[in-house]
Amino acid sequence: MSSTDRDRRGAAVLAAAQRERRRRRLLTGAIAVAVVAAVVVVGLLATDASKNETEGQTIRVVDRARLLPEHAGARDGVVVVSGSPTAKITLDVYADFLCPVCAKFHESSADRIDQLTNEGVLRVRYHMVPLLEHGSDPPGYSVDAANASLCAADAGRFVPFHDSLLAGQPREGGRGYDKGQLTTLGRDVGITAPAFAECVQSGRYDQRLRDELARTVANPALGQPDGSGRTRFGTPTVVANGTLVRTTDADWLAGVLSARP
Amino acid sequence: MGRLAAVIDLVARLGLAVVLLVSGVLKIADPGQTYLAVRAYDVLPDALVRPAATVLPLAELALGALLLIGLGTRVVAVLSVLLLVVLTAGVAQAWARGLSIDCGCFGGGGEVAAGQTEYPLEIARDLVFLAMAGWLVARPRSRLSVDGVLGARAGGEVVRKGADW
Repeated sequence: MSSTDRDRRGAAVLAAAQRERRRRRLLTGAIAVAVVAAVVVVGLLATDASKNETEGQTIRVVDRARLLPEHAGARDGVVVVSGSPTAKITLDVYADFLCPVCAKFHESSADRIDQLTNEGVLRVRYHMVPLLEHGSDPPGYSVDAANASLCAADAGRFVPFHDSLLAGQPREGGRGYDKGQLTTLGRDVGITAPAFAECVQSGRYDQRLRDELARTVANPALGQPDGSGRTRFGTPTVVANGTLVRTTDADWLAGVLSARP
Repeated sequence: MGRLAAVIDLVARLGLAVVLLVSGVLKIADPGQTYLAVRAYDVLPDALVRPAATVLPLAELALGALLLIGLGTRVVAVLSVLLLVVLTAGVAQAWARGLSIDCGCFGGGGEVAAGQTEYPLEIARDLVFLAMAGWLVARPRSRLSVDGVLGARAGGEVVRKGADW
C-alpha cells in the first residue's frame, strides 16, 4: 500500500468517526431534551395545580350556632371577646388562620369552650395573630384572614366566619384565599352591610394586627420553651387568667377549671 | 480497573438517581411545604422563593431520570455536583447563622424548634451524595446505560475503536 493510499484511507476513517460522533452527540442531546421537557411540563402542571388549589373555590360555611347570641363576639381593638364579663376565667387564645395546629386545636376544643362560655364560666379573648403572614404564596393570607374576621366581628358574625376559615383552612405555602373569597364568605355567613366588603378590601385592621403581633412576639410571658432552653412565641398559645396553658395536654381545659380560684 | 470498580460505577449512578428522584418526587408532591422549606433558608428575596421552590424539584427529577437511564452521565454528574454544592452550602449557612430549620432535603422542611435541627447529619448525607456524583464525573461509564448503548462516553465523546489503521 502506498503512503498516499494510506493517508486517504485514514482521512476517510477519521471523517466517518467524526460523523458518527456528531450523530451520537445529537442523539444524546435529543433524548436528554425530551426527558427534561417531559419532567418540566408534568412537574409544572402538578406544582401549579397544588399551590393554586384554593383558586375559584367557595369557602364552605361552618355555622354551628352553639353560642348564645349575646356571646357572638365583640371587637375590642384587634381582639374579639366572647362571653360574660363576670366569668371567673378569662382565656386568651392566640391563633393564626394559616396554622394547622391552631385549626386542630380549635376543632378539638371549640365545643367545650363554647359550652362553658354559654354557662358563664369562660370569657374568651380571640387574638388573631398574623404570625404566618409570609407562610402563604403569595404572602398575606394570614393577615387578610385576620382582618376579615375583625370586619366580620364588626358585622356581628365573627364566630361562623372564624369557624369556616379554620375548617376550610388552606394549605401552608399555597395561595390561601383572596379578599374576594373572604368577602363572599362574609356574604354567605349572612353579612349584608356593604361596609364589610370595604373593610376586607382596604385591609382596615392590617397595620394594627401587625403592630399587635410585634408586641405579642416580644412579650416574654407568652414565650414557650423551644427545646434549646430559650422561649419563643408560637401558635396556638392559650393563657388562662394570665397563666400559660399547655394545650398539648389532652385535658388542659380540666386543669384550667380545677385551678379556678 | 477490576470488577469492583464496575460495580461501584453502577451503584453510584443508580444510587444517586434514586436519591434525586425520591427527593424530587417528595418535594413536588407538596409544593406548599417546599415553598416554606426554601423560604426558611432565608437566603432568597421573596420574589425568588417560589421560582426556586418550583425549579429545584424539577432539576432533581430531570437529573435523576437522566442518571437512571444513564444518558450524558458525565455532564449530568457535573450538574449534580453543582446542585449538591449549592444545597450543602444552604444548610451550612443556616447552621452558621443559627437558624432553626429542617433542610427539607427529602420533603418536609421549614422552621423547626431549636433543639430539633440535624445539621451535621444533613451535611454528612450530602457529602456522601457528593462523593457518588464525583465518582461519576471521573468514571461516567457503567453497564445498563444509554451511553453504553450509544457507544459514547458521557458528554458524547466517541470511543475511537474504529481507528484501526
